[in-house]
Amino acid sequence: MTSGAIFWLVVFGISAFLFFAVALVVMARGMADLRDLLGGSVRGRRER
Amino acid sequence: MNFAAIDWVILVLYLIGSVGLGIWAKKFVEDLTGYMVAGRRIRTSLGIATFVATELGTVTFVYYGELGYVSGFSCFVIGLLALVAYTLVGKTGFVIEALRRHRVMTIPEFYELRYTRTVRLIGGTILFVGGVLNMGIFLKFDGIFLSEVMGFGPGALVVTMTVMLLVVIVYTVLGGMFSIVVTDFMQFVVLALGMLVATVAVLLRVDLGAMSVAVQQTFGSHGVDPFANPRFGLTFVVWIFVCSVAAAALWQPGASKALASESPAVARKVFFWTGITFAGRAMVPMFWGVAALAYFGAGQPSAAAMPRLLGAIVPSGFLGILVAGMLAASMSTYSAYLLAWSSVLARDVIACFRKTDLSPQTTIRVIRIAAVVIGLFLLVFGLWYKIPDTAFQYLYVTGAMYTAGALGCVAAGVYWKRANTPGAFAALVLGAVAPAAFLVLERFRAELPGWLAFAADVNVAGLLSFVLAAAGMVFGSLFTQRSHPPRQLPQGELS
Repeated sequence: MTSGAIFWLVVFGISAFLFFAVALVVMARGMADLRDLLGGSVRGRRER
Repeated sequence: MNFAAIDWVILVLYLIGSVGLGIWAKKFVEDLTGYMVAGRRIRTSLGIATFVATELGTVTFVYYGELGYVSGFSCFVIGLLALVAYTLVGKTGFVIEALRRHRVMTIPEFYELRYTRTVRLIGGTILFVGGVLNMGIFLKFDGIFLSEVMGFGPGALVVTMTVMLLVVIVYTVLGGMFSIVVTDFMQFVVLALGMLVATVAVLLRVDLGAMSVAVQQTFGSHGVDPFANPRFGLTFVVWIFVCSVAAAALWQPGASKALASESPAVARKVFFWTGITFAGRAMVPMFWGVAALAYFGAGQPSAAAMPRLLGAIVPSGFLGILVAGMLAASMSTYSAYLLAWSSVLARDVIACFRKTDLSPQTTIRVIRIAAVVIGLFLLVFGLWYKIPDTAFQYLYVTGAMYTAGALGCVAAGVYWKRANTPGAFAALVLGAVAPAAFLVLERFRAELPGWLAFAADVNVAGLLSFVLAAAGMVFGSLFTQRSHPPRQLPQGELS
């Protein structure tokens, strides 16, 4: 394997890890944000 | 056909869930602010999910996959440029913080605050034309991806494109930004899962050493060095970096996530963390594209090679998750883009022909009609238009038609007190000239005289648009300070 290919594969590995790690956190915390968004609307407040 | 019964079940369940959720969210729309920017109540995690989902469509996978296939690892530099540009905008709040603080719903609204209503009309028109042209190739690439992965072949292109578009139009038209945010969140989860499935399949079935050998044999050192690669080079790198900063701050579908944020501080956080994902957003599909080169060798149709690989190596059951993920990616992109461009048409073009704004009810009605008309246009344009250069470069050059002038107008409007109306006009018009000239001249590339050949180079045209727009703003403003004293932004309690 060439050194150029190794360099870009390492960069790819880090980038892919960051993508999926942020995605995981966002999935976990996004539900609460979504509940607040819908619950905070006039319609949402009326339904509670 | 690659698709098995289990894949169809997953796909149909996903489609029903997505449309149902989008229509259900319609009941939360109370007024125009709710319809266009979800009442400006979006928090950080939800903002990141909807931003990533908007900026990651099937077309993104296809054009990045195509780049990996035709240029090897050297295109990975684009991911690094996007990461730096978006995190920079998030960290500094460059432009987006001011836009959010002034509570605009579309970028051209800022032109009226800082310049005049006519600047808003011209800026809105350029944004609308550039945006719709930019979106024009999405359907075609989505159709190529889906028909290749599912194993239908090119014959199914029209049917695939039409079905996808109809589904998206239904919930976007009905629920506006509320439906978009709710469906985006679900689509974000599904698309991340689809990306994971495809990446694992590639890692299991294609040897990394074979990828390195394929790149070395096909491209030599150009395959790992973006500055040596004739497709890229220094002009390309500078252009893409400047364009990424401008697009991060001013591309209406993405910027609308900042405008819908709970506060300017939340807008910055959303941009910063979204930026962190942007290297992966580019490099993951590029990696699939390089894997397609190793798997098939050169000689495949460039846009179809990567989807063809995924169709061949992803097993049944997982293929359904992958296609649902890609559909999720497309639908979230279409919905945000349709709302963005139809909002600009209604508020910044049609309404600007009148002395006063349209009523909120009329605005929503016009936005809905515009979304349907844009959808029909996309269907016709996507089938007919032949794309110059790679899809990636087409998208950036049509984007530059607007972002170059917008960067001049908005950045100068926020940070330079001497920016005035003639400067804004000059920036908008000059910024659009080079990309528009490229789209015309590249069709006559062979007949062009030598001195004009540079205008048919996509990288030069793209970079030139930013240089011309900046020059237009600076010289246009400086030469007309007495005749057109600059108007300053309204002060006061803004949030």
